[in-house]
Amino acid sequence: MAMDDLTSKIRDISEQNPNLCMQCGTCSASCTGIGAMEQLPRQVMRLLQLGKDKALESSSIWMCTTCLTCTARCPRGIDIARVMEALRVINLRQGNEVLVLEDIPLELLTEVPQMALTSGFRKLSA
Amino acid sequence: MAIPYFPGCTLKTKATGLDSSTRATLAALGVELAELPDWTCCGTVFPLAQDNYMGMVAAARILINASKEDDGRLVTVCSFCYNVLKRVNYAIKNNEETRTKLTQYLEEEYAGETKLVHPLEVLRDDVGFEALQGKVNDKVKGLKVACYYGCMLSRPASEMQFDDEPENPTIMEDLVGAMGAEPVDFKYKTKCCGSYQVMKTYDLVVKRVREILEGATASGAQAIITSCPLCQFNLDWIQEKIAEEDSSFAKIPVLYFTQLLGAALDVPAEELGLDKHYVDPKALLKG
Repeated sequence: MAMDDLTSKIRDISEQNPNLCMQCGTCSASCTGIGAMEQLPRQVMRLLQLGKDKALESSSIWMCTTCLTCTARCPRGIDIARVMEALRVINLRQGNEVLVLEDIPLELLTEVPQMALTSGFRKLSA
Repeated sequence: MAIPYFPGCTLKTKATGLDSSTRATLAALGVELAELPDWTCCGTVFPLAQDNYMGMVAAARILINASKEDDGRLVTVCSFCYNVLKRVNYAIKNNEETRTKLTQYLEEEYAGETKLVHPLEVLRDDVGFEALQGKVNDKVKGLKVACYYGCMLSRPASEMQFDDEPENPTIMEDLVGAMGAEPVDFKYKTKCCGSYQVMKTYDLVVKRVREILEGATASGAQAIITSCPLCQFNLDWIQEKIAEEDSSFAKIPVLYFTQLLGAALDVPAEELGLDKHYVDPKALLKG
């Protein structure tokens, strides 16, 4: 995807401007996904500023729990969770999904509350 | 007069104790709930892509149906339901394009009139925490409780308008104090437990859950309370798994706030619904 394409798509879907990010790392330090991410949220924002497609391929976007801690704390007022969602949505609309029913252990599948299935599939499946 | 009530899907299956304890506890305090007819799943998560209107349709339909009842309010207790219904209502009220698209699709007139309220707000505003103090028994007196809000109840603060602070709400602590129990200083109270990632990135959720549980224990808590069935599951089920691998791990019961309050109001055991918990909370509430 050309740089302008990715940047404008992210802006359209998220209504957020990644260029406002000043790379302070507050989001990274606050993130629930810490310890499981390839790139920290700050680094994903930087990839977007540079128009790098790697942001779309980062496994970090799938570790997000949409807990909105980053959004609540961003000193630049960026709703970072919306940027992560935009990156997921671009993937999901191309059929790239990460949560597949068959991969969920049966022991878990029979015990989890329904809301985990509905929310998980809404965020992580095409 | 009864307030319209939206239980949500999980309260009819895995979290029946949250449903029955909410109804019974409020009834014991003179607040009747009337289940909304013909309700559906709320969609569970608010779509963060601004063009995803389909993700808002179910919540919009529920809000519209509630607006046709006389009361003007809608009570819901599950944190996910509360979050998505409140955010969709906010979007309908404040975003003309969202309002137009949703109401045209559903062929209804609606501009966000329904007032969504959480039972915690009903307890504070309708019952009153001071009035509650005179109605409780000694069953939870002095019990040290960690109030766990998780992520969905209070964020984003500008839309949820649930408590004053997105990272330091105090409504549950005030309730616990009114019950005669002792809220502990709990720094993990608005940390996310890992949520639906339990199905995909399980190890990450175990880490987050363990931090929250150990944080609660370190604060001196004997129990954790929540209003979210997914937080309850993650904190409760996963600690059994942690304890299987680490025999030194100190288990701690995870209750719904309505179960704790119900015990303090002599709500019958079958309505408290304490049998589905993995870590048994019953010994704590014998009083």
